[in-house]
This record gives sequence, C-alpha cells and structure tokens, in this order.
Amino acid sequence: MNQGFKYYLKIYLAIITQDIKSKMQYRMDFFISTLGMIATNLSGLISFWILFRSIPNIQGWDYHEMIFIYAFSLLAVTPVQLFFDNLWNINDKVLRGDFIVYCFRPLNIFFYYMSEVFDVKGLSQLIFGCLLLIYSWASLHIQITVVSILFLFVTLLGASLVMIGIMVLACSSAFWITNSTSVLVFMFKFKDYSKYPITIFNTVFRFIFSFLIPIGFIAFYPSEIFLRPKSTTILALASPVIGIAFFILAYFVWMYGARKYSGTGS
Amino acid sequence: MSIIEIENLEKTFKVLNRHEGLKGAVKDLFSHDYKYIKAVDKISMKINAGEIVGYLGPNGAGKSTTIKMMTGVLDPTSGHIKVNGNIPYKNRRINAQNIGVVFGQRTQLWWSLPVIESFKILKMIYQINDKTYKDNLELFDSLVKVSSLYSKPVRQMSLGQRTLCDILAAFLHDPKVIFLDEPTIGLDVSIKSKIRMLIKELNARKNTTVILTTHDMGDVEALCQRAVIIDKGKIIFDDQFESLKSMFGSYRTLKVSVDDMSEKNINDTIRIIESAFNQTKALTVNRSEDWIEIIVDQDKTALTDVLSFVINNIHVSDVKIEEVEAESIIRKIYEGGRTV
Ligand SMILES: Nc1ncnc2c1ncn2[C@@H]1O[C@H](COP(=O)(O)OP(=O)(O)OP(=O)(O)O)[C@@H](O)[C@H]1O
Ligand SMILES: [Mg+2]
Repeated sequence: MNQGFKYYLKIYLAIITQDIKSKMQYRMDFFISTLGMIATNLSGLISFWILFRSIPNIQGWDYHEMIFIYAFSLLAVTPVQLFFDNLWNINDKVLRGDFIVYCFRPLNIFFYYMSEVFDVKGLSQLIFGCLLLIYSWASLHIQITVVSILFLFVTLLGASLVMIGIMVLACSSAFWITNSTSVLVFMFKFKDYSKYPITIFNTVFRFIFSFLIPIGFIAFYPSEIFLRPKSTTILALASPVIGIAFFILAYFVWMYGARKYSGTGS
Repeated sequence: MSIIEIENLEKTFKVLNRHEGLKGAVKDLFSHDYKYIKAVDKISMKINAGEIVGYLGPNGAGKSTTIKMMTGVLDPTSGHIKVNGNIPYKNRRINAQNIGVVFGQRTQLWWSLPVIESFKILKMIYQINDKTYKDNLELFDSLVKVSSLYSKPVRQMSLGQRTLCDILAAFLHDPKVIFLDEPTIGLDVSIKSKIRMLIKELNARKNTTVILTTHDMGDVEALCQRAVIIDKGKIIFDDQFESLKSMFGSYRTLKVSVDDMSEKNINDTIRIIESAFNQTKALTVNRSEDWIEIIVDQDKTALTDVLSFVINNIHVSDVKIEEVEAESIIRKIYEGGRTV
C-alpha cells in the first residue's frame, strides 16, 4: 500500500469535486444557502460598523485596526467551515452507530470522515474577508512586501489551525458524551470574541482566550504582527507554531476518541 | 488453507449502569458501577479460502460483534484472530485493503454522489488498476444489469438498489474476504434472490471467501455450504449446512385455528390430536397465540395423515403449513443437544 500525501490529495480533490458538482445540481439550495451566508456576514459587519464607527479608538485600537482584526478573524474561520463541516454531523453518526462505517476503508479515519463534506457556501465568507482585509490594509498604509505577504499567509494558516483545532476538540467530545452538538455550538459561538482586540477584556478572560480556549490566536495575536510591528509580543510571533501544535493535539485527541469509541463501541 | 483463524476469541463490553435524571447524570460522571456483557465467549473457528459461511444465531447472539472484530473495528478482549495473515485490530488499514464489508442498512457509498462516482473514488482509494476496474464493472453488469442505476445519487435509491450497489462496491477491489452482515434485511423476495445469485456468482468466479450473517434461512439455503451457529456468545453448531438441514428439513409446522378459542376447547383439541398420534411420538402440540401449533416429524408420520385427521375430527376455521423457523431449530439444538 502506497499512501503518501499525493494519494490523499488525489482522493480529497476527487471527493470535493464530485461533492460540489452534485450540490450545484440543486441550484436553488445552493443560492439560498449562499445568500444566507452573505446575509449573516453583512449583518455582522453592519453591527460591527454601527458599534465602532463613532468611537475613535478603543484602548488604543482605532477603527481600521479593528476592521483588520475582524477581517483576519473572518478569514481564519473560513477553512474550518469549508473543509471541516462534517464535524457538525458527528453527534448523529455516533449515536446512530453509523460512525463505524468510517473504519472499513484503508484510510486514515480522520481524513475519511472530514473529507466527506465540503461546504461551498463558506466561499462567500472568504471573499468578504479578503475584501475587508484589503480595505483595512490599504487604509492603514501597511507596506506590501514579499515578507509581509509571506507573514500574512503563515499567520493565517496558523490562525486557521487554531480554529480548526478548537472545533476538532469540540467534535471529539462526541466520543465521550451524548450531546456533543451543544459543545460544538458553544465553541463556535466563542469564536465571535476573536473579532475584538483581546486587550479590551478583563484579565480573567484574557487568560482564558490566550491559554484555555485560545481564540486570541485566531485574529488578535497574529494581527499584532502587522498592526504593532514594533511592540510585537512573544505570543504574536509564536502564533503559527501554536496553531500547528494545537491542531496536532486536537487531531490526536480525536483519533484517540474515535479508536476508543469504535474499539469499545460505547 | 485457512484464510480466517479464530482462537478462543472473547469480547466483553463494559457498560455503565446509568442512573435516572439530572442527579443520576452527575452521579454517572463519577460512577464505577459497571456491568459486563460477554458478547462473544471463547469462540474458535477456521474458515477456508473460497468458502461461503452462514453465521447464524438469534438477536444479540454476538454475530455483529464477531464481524466487527474480524474487520478490525473492535479489539478482542482476549483470544487470537487472523484474517489473511493480518491481526485486524493491529493492522486495520492493511486488513481493510483485503476485505469488503457490507453492514445491513448502513450504506458506505457517498450519499449525494451518483454510484459511478463513488466507484471511481473507491478505485482511487483501493488503487484498483484500470483493467480490473473495467472488467469488474462489466462482470457486475452482466450479472445484475445495474449500469442504468449508476448515474443515480445514492440518496434517491430504494433500499434494495442501494444494498445491491453496496455489495458491488464491496467486491470492486477484488477483496479476498467479504463480510456481509444481514445484507438482505428488509428486502423483497425478488431483490433478495438477485442478491443471492450475485453473491454466489462472484464467489464462484473470484473464489472470494464470504461470511454472511442473516436471519433468513433462504439466504443460507441458497448460498452456504457451511453454517456456524452462535448463541449467547458461544458457538453451538459448526458443520455442513446439509446436516443442519437434515435436522429440521423433515419437520413441518402445521397451524390450526378453531372457532371456539376458549381455553377449555383448545386444551381439549390439543389432547385429541396428541392422543391420536401418541404411539409414534411424531408430534409436538402447543398453543401459540391464536393458533394451535403442531410440529410434525415427517420421518415418523406423514404430514397429510395429520392434516386429514385434523380436518375430519375437529372444526377448524383455518389451516396453514410452515417450515420450521431457523430460530426454533437453533433453540432446539441449544436445549437438547443435536437430537432436535
Ligand atoms: N457497543 C456495545 N456496548 C455494549 N454492549 C454491546 C455493544 N454492542 C453489542 N453489545 C451487546 O453484545 C451482544 C451481542 O450483540 P451483537 O450485535 O453482536 O448481536 P447480533 O448477533 O449481531 O444480533 P442481531 O441479530 O440482533 O444483529 C448483545 O447483548 C448486545 O447488547
Ligand atoms: Mg447484528
């Protein structure tokens, strides 16, 4: 059996392509869910705008900087929505015993499970995030250099991995408890706090958001690299590493849970 | 040559005794109040390449649990198991490459994709070469004429069509062993017979070993040379299906209903029938719900004799004749050794 990266990529692309194709056939469905996503994003943006437009700055963060963090957060949350949407189905599959079918293929179970669903409507959020980021980037006169673009990609990747890690951990709870959807919902709501500079919260929450449920690494810490290059903290620089480490942790917890669950069946 | 070897295999489930209500839920979090369910109890068997084995037994006997261990999903509590020379739980992925699995009503095809696209993805997953893939599709179509179904998404299929496609998908990569856990459950007679023919043909052409669990003796009759019966986790029969058949083949159940279903009349009727055939010891007569059930050993007396006696001597309102159900055979084997 030869199962390298290429093998998995080929299978992943094949599944996604087919999945998108089949979803496109239900055009109405596709349009409506995309519209819904756009509406959600628009209303989020409008309330953000109403809230912060008139305030010149909050604890040293001005309006455009806030937009930057907001946009960064939107982008960092997009991959989990695009590629990991199947985690919302875990509760059902585990309770009904359907999860077992993911163990019958000669594939990594995590890969096989997550590859099943690709959520196209998340693409509209990607576009939103990009536009907002470009807008704030330009307004803030951040330099465009090879290094800054490279940094942007690396930090976004790290930030996405933090978000993915949080949700995968929440998803793992399904292997131990019977109502894991509420854990997922709870964690997914939490990510809304990542849109704001962490410094506006009190010390307790700042600690939680940095070290327990690390949503600070979804947008705030990595954004610091661009917004406060002179006073960048260690946490900001470490954010990509933290993202990778956190994702790996979440992956192993999930795999452990899946193995334990299917191994004992309970 | 054995392709599956099982020795003293055991599986015990550890289940938490749950308590009621919110207080109970909190209690459960810290509870160590477990009960143990021995689903599979020290079973041993060897299965040869190319065999079709019927793995039978009543509900909760431990059939699915055994299959889950053979597919590498469940780890045994103790004992040994080898499939194709692999230890399934330790080498789940390598094992998976060599086996095919169909689990009753749980499809493994991509729900929203047309079947043919699922097949193409499976081709990649199992790294099936072009020729094998093409030959297999042709073979499948020549056996069951399914190509017209291929463009249909799985979610739009009937249970029968889906099961058929799931079985084909399991055979697609030419696995050495196929596990079918109740593949015919909930299907009508015509699709059942199609599925039986398909399994039989594929087994014959590819020498695929097939392990089949079912509650339908028709499946076993059509497919299996060998039957293994498990009850309460223990194997109670492992032999040629013919010898099992000879045990119940000569039995028929004659069911009779009478107009007056009062306790007294039924008991009287049972006594009349029993005493008439007393000498031959050929009958067992019981009440079963709205019927009087007469199990006739045809080796000792002709069914027609019993039938004509009943019709001539009792006011019957309805009569039906049935084969003895597998479950009751199994119960008899269990209760009375192998003498039925
Ligand atoms: N995950 C589990 N946790 C606890 N007990 C289980 C679990 N799976 C099965 N059991 C128990 O183990 C026993 C055997 O179950 P199994 O599913 O193997 O039976 P089966 O022979 O396949 O029955 P059926 O014909 O109804 O499918 C049953 O008593 C069942 O309740
Ligand atoms: Mg079963």
